[in-house]
Amino acid sequence: MSADSPRAAAERLPHYVSHEPFDPYAFEAMSPEQERYYLASQWRMMWWKLRRHRLAVISGAILIVLYASILVSEFLAPYGLNSRHNDFIYVPPQGIHLFHDGNFVGPYTYGYDYKLDMKTLKRVYTVNPNKVQPLRFFCHGDEYWFWGLVQGDLHLVCPAQDGTFFFLGTDRLGRDMLSRVIYGARISLTIGIVGISISFLIGLTLGGLAGYYGGWIDSLVQRLIEIIRSFPELPLWMALSAILPVTWSPLWVYFGITIILGMIDWTGLGRAVRSKLLALREEDFATAAMLMGASPRRIIVRHLLPSFMSHLIASATLSIPSMILGETALSFLGLGLRPPITSWGVLLNEAQNINVVALYPWLMIPVIPVIIVVLAFNFLGDGLRDAADPYR
Amino acid sequence: MFQYIIRRILIMIPTLIVISAVIFAIIKLPPGDFFTAYVETLRASGEQADLQKIAFLREQYHFDDPAWMQYGYWVSGLAQGDLGFSFEYERPVSQVVGDRLLLTFIVSVATIIFTWVVSFPIGVYSATHQYSWSDYSLTFLGFLGLATPNFLLALVLLYLANVYFGLSIGGLMEPRYLDQPWSWAKAMSVLSHLWIPVLVIGASGTAGMIRRLRANLLDELQKQYVVTARAKGLPPFRALVKYPLRMSLNPFIADIGALLPHVISGAAVVSVVLSLPTTGPMLLSALRSQDMYLAGSFLFFMAFLTVIGVFLSDLALAWLDPRIRLDGGVTR
Amino acid sequence: MKPTLLSRFLAPLALAFLVAGPALADAPAPQETPSLAAAVKAGKLPPVADRLPQAPLVITPTEIGKQGGAMTMLMGTNKDTKMMVVFGYARLVVYTPDYTLVPDILQSYEVEDGRVFTFHLRPGHKWSDGEPFTAEDFRYWFEDMAGNKELFRSGLPDAMLAEGKGPKFEVIDPETVRYTWAKRNPLFLPALAGPEPLYIYAPAHYMKKFHVKYGDAKFIEDQVKAQRVRNWAALHTRLFHPYQDDNPDLPSLDPWVPRTKPPAERFVFERNPYFHRIDPEGHQLPYIDSVALVIADAKIIPAKTGAGESDLQARYLRFDNYTFLKEAEERQNYAVRLWKTAPGAQLALYPNLNVNDPVWQKLMRDVRFRRALSLAIDRHEINQAIYYGLALEGQNTALPGSPLYDPADRNAWSQFDIKAANKLLDEIGLTARDSDGIRLLPDGRLLQIVIENAGESTEQSDVLELIRDTWAEAGIKLFSKPSQREIWRRRVYAGDTMMSIDKGVENGLVRPGLAPMEFAPTTQGQVEWPKWGQYLETKGKAGEKIDVPEAEELATLYQKWFAAGDDATRTAIWKKMLQINADQVFTIGIIAGVLQPVVVTNRLRNVPAEGIYNWDPGAFFGVYHMDTFWFAPEGSKQASIQQ
Repeated sequence: MSADSPRAAAERLPHYVSHEPFDPYAFEAMSPEQERYYLASQWRMMWWKLRRHRLAVISGAILIVLYASILVSEFLAPYGLNSRHNDFIYVPPQGIHLFHDGNFVGPYTYGYDYKLDMKTLKRVYTVNPNKVQPLRFFCHGDEYWFWGLVQGDLHLVCPAQDGTFFFLGTDRLGRDMLSRVIYGARISLTIGIVGISISFLIGLTLGGLAGYYGGWIDSLVQRLIEIIRSFPELPLWMALSAILPVTWSPLWVYFGITIILGMIDWTGLGRAVRSKLLALREEDFATAAMLMGASPRRIIVRHLLPSFMSHLIASATLSIPSMILGETALSFLGLGLRPPITSWGVLLNEAQNINVVALYPWLMIPVIPVIIVVLAFNFLGDGLRDAADPYR
Repeated sequence: MFQYIIRRILIMIPTLIVISAVIFAIIKLPPGDFFTAYVETLRASGEQADLQKIAFLREQYHFDDPAWMQYGYWVSGLAQGDLGFSFEYERPVSQVVGDRLLLTFIVSVATIIFTWVVSFPIGVYSATHQYSWSDYSLTFLGFLGLATPNFLLALVLLYLANVYFGLSIGGLMEPRYLDQPWSWAKAMSVLSHLWIPVLVIGASGTAGMIRRLRANLLDELQKQYVVTARAKGLPPFRALVKYPLRMSLNPFIADIGALLPHVISGAAVVSVVLSLPTTGPMLLSALRSQDMYLAGSFLFFMAFLTVIGVFLSDLALAWLDPRIRLDGGVTR
Repeated sequence: MKPTLLSRFLAPLALAFLVAGPALADAPAPQETPSLAAAVKAGKLPPVADRLPQAPLVITPTEIGKQGGAMTMLMGTNKDTKMMVVFGYARLVVYTPDYTLVPDILQSYEVEDGRVFTFHLRPGHKWSDGEPFTAEDFRYWFEDMAGNKELFRSGLPDAMLAEGKGPKFEVIDPETVRYTWAKRNPLFLPALAGPEPLYIYAPAHYMKKFHVKYGDAKFIEDQVKAQRVRNWAALHTRLFHPYQDDNPDLPSLDPWVPRTKPPAERFVFERNPYFHRIDPEGHQLPYIDSVALVIADAKIIPAKTGAGESDLQARYLRFDNYTFLKEAEERQNYAVRLWKTAPGAQLALYPNLNVNDPVWQKLMRDVRFRRALSLAIDRHEINQAIYYGLALEGQNTALPGSPLYDPADRNAWSQFDIKAANKLLDEIGLTARDSDGIRLLPDGRLLQIVIENAGESTEQSDVLELIRDTWAEAGIKLFSKPSQREIWRRRVYAGDTMMSIDKGVENGLVRPGLAPMEFAPTTQGQVEWPKWGQYLETKGKAGEKIDVPEAEELATLYQKWFAAGDDATRTAIWKKMLQINADQVFTIGIIAGVLQPVVVTNRLRNVPAEGIYNWDPGAFFGVYHMDTFWFAPEGSKQASIQQ
């Protein structure tokens, strides 16, 4: 055999068997970078994508700071929520200065001289450059009950002894606006979260049922959504707030109002859930789960929902601002929260008259936190939504 | 198609019945009725109510009958085109609403046009320039309108417009034109007052519009056919306008029907602040004073228009986009 | 005449107008009104001498004015057209600025024993459509309207009942009518002179067309259909709206008559060419040709006024708008004046003596408790903080300026004295306190008072905020709970509220001749004792019998006032009632005499620099004769004084 074909023998390659372990997919091997990408969870991918939306990231950070602040409102506010200053009614905002006569003093404010103009009945405050009132930090000021539980008097910043620090001015009873805004955040920021949770719950349940079962349940939910949508929000608000019993304490009224906001808001979410489910239940993995005998509950919750949870979170984020604005509108209509409760809506409603616009414009300042929060939620929501489908 | 239309119309009837029942319930929910509220309001200013007249109206409008009978009277009236009687104005509802509809229409149409004119270019631009600073700043501008509580914005604009442009405060025209017939000067006066409500009401709507247009357009732009079109050398502008833009407009069309209640409702608060002679403030005061026929019939009228509007926009959608299956229910 | 001098002398005395009494023989020769001259010339209108009654009422204004001009005022709702009837203030009898009754539409009247009222009309007096105004118009109202069961279901109005019985009505001659009651009826004349008057006459010639007894059946039926009402009675009721003033076809006796059919955004009222008053030079009043009411939301009316869009405005302006309005004074060519107001208290607390909770009821009925609450209010601080110290501190009672005013009543239990308050509360036995120093009720609950209100003003919640701090020093916790007017009222009537905050008595400028109904339990509307009031109002059918001796005494005194025949007795009864109220502190007055800004454009004359802006008696601008207000030519100097 070998003598017959010397040429062939001469040209034959030596037999070689690699002792390395065989990997048939070696040519598809991924760089660590690719690996990270392909093995990343959906949430991680969302995060990567979200990072590209710079404004969304900034907004998220702002929101985290704001929400953290409501945990320690008492500490951040220079004055108590209800501290009145009869000698300082309608005081314009006091600026913070650092240098006095060219010398560094540290943050301080100038005191005011007060004069009542009896002709126009205007309280006139003039800055007195001789009254230098350095701010104190981590100091003892107005007493408070921290979250209604622990008594304390430590504040981040206080005015000088016998001085004043009204960074955003004072209102008609001489209450510090900065403190009121800080305390008001507690109500205004949470109202959106509570409201959205309720609307989420209703929207998911009803939308889920409609989308999964279809048929008469679907048409029932569809009609319900259509009916709620064909009303202006206004009469719904009015009617629902009319049911809130007058005997309720302010706290309960607050919850009642969040529930109202949630109950009107769920329709959009319900629709989204329904249409997504309608599409997803036809997918192979849903059919497979069904064939394996999973219960509808398990299929919806375990298999279908996670695949569009990101979308839901994005749209929920986008609905929070409308709740915060809804609270201000309800207060304006006299249906929502009322003083003595302090929320941004209540503060804005108090600013809603011509005297304020013409004479005491600083009372409109609570509009700024409202704008910031609403914008932040919008940008974050936008970013989340762009990021919700990370495989694109 | 025909079958679909018939089915939709048939569904509309029970929907409307339920809506009418809900409206009636909403109006009846607060304790008391128009007259008890009226007597208290008068008492607050030291006046006395004309009890004779009240007894009279109470009987005539079945105030002392059970609620379901009152509902029956109202609905059967509605079915015959009788909107009932406004106790506040002491005349038939149709006469009260009539005058305000035209101005409401003017304000609403102007607002919708404003919304579209502003949001369209911004939406397209920011979708084609995603994550650029111009995208951010334009969207920011759009959202600013949404984020500002519009009742406050309205008041501030009102004051500034008076101080700097000498515009009369509130209303839709200088007071001297109020009871004049329409003329060139009156129309100009309306125009000079219209911008504040349009700006304020429209501002909150543009943000939503921008966002949806931007999102839809982004979705479309990433599709294969756009890539193919561009790869084949279609100029970018044409590649944008020819298909993706058209596709991303579907939600706008779907929205026209549902726009009405939002314009009215969003406008009500602003209209109160601006003291506009539109239907919003009237509805608000009717709801407050429990002027049940005025509030109820007007709400029903609007709900009716909305239901029809949704139906029509669904039809328009189906006509514009044949891919939408008619038997799949409402699509959005 | 030198107007400056005269007005400087007269206006502050509130004696700007000398109202003529019965028929003046030497009435000045009437002068034709310029704006009507053309119509007279064309024969559409009779000359002025024929339009006026034979003996017109001569009004002497501060300055003799010129006829003409159009005035604009701002109003909040369509229903405010009634303000033209209030401001116009043409009544059978009217109050003068010092609140005495004089005839106005009537030429004269006689009262015998408080029971027999004889009214003499002005011969030749005409309705605004030129038809004569005669005794027939009174008869039509009394017999065909009030006497008709379909029109007046529950019979005569309260002010026409003396101990439940109506009067006998007689037509003596075409210009004289008489009402005779079996018992005295002191409510009758004040009701006729009220801002919302009791109408006991109607334009018979116009209304008969719609009355089933007189009118053409076919015509009435057509009208019923056209107006979409149920029957002729509804139609008749709808058309006879002399107070609402919204039917341009309804003949009227007011200085201005409506020319716009509601609903509208601008209502125009034009001068009544047949109005019965003239000035000493024979010019027919009103001076101003037409008044336009522009309807705007009540909330922006201060802003519109500050933009110079109103010629005369007080309605919907509040004291706290003063600074804003004053700052625009120069720019907008108007003057802001501050008028006095007359409520017994701008704000008062009303402990509910009929509260359901037995523990609270016992406490509220304890006079020491009410006094302690009153003593623990720092009225001076409230006055300084909210009213610039310009308001009047004290109880809810008569004001200085009333002949019944007694400083002792106003100051009773109104000095801020925490020590005394604490002492009183300790005396009651509320000595137990919780860790925050809040007192405990006998059954262990906290002494926390929920004060409910109509939720219509921030002023109320502001004042409560201030009271809360001082009450806390007395160991009382205060919660304020704004709701809606009607809901709040309902809860008060049912005995669910502990305490309310609201305006004090409507009129603090009380007079012996005015019924003291606000100072004794009389109606359910009184939130300090709703159930007692209801009991008396319904003659024992509903509510609860009074079981506090002092309140019972008030009810008895009130009855006595009705029976009293002379002012001396009435004064004595009044004084006693005021004194009981002040001493018992049934209502806790906080502050009174808050000033009312009145914006007057510079060209508008004869508006008093100082006045009292009051509803009843007063009819706001009514007693100051708005028909004599006039527009000086552009650029002329303001003649009247500024304070």
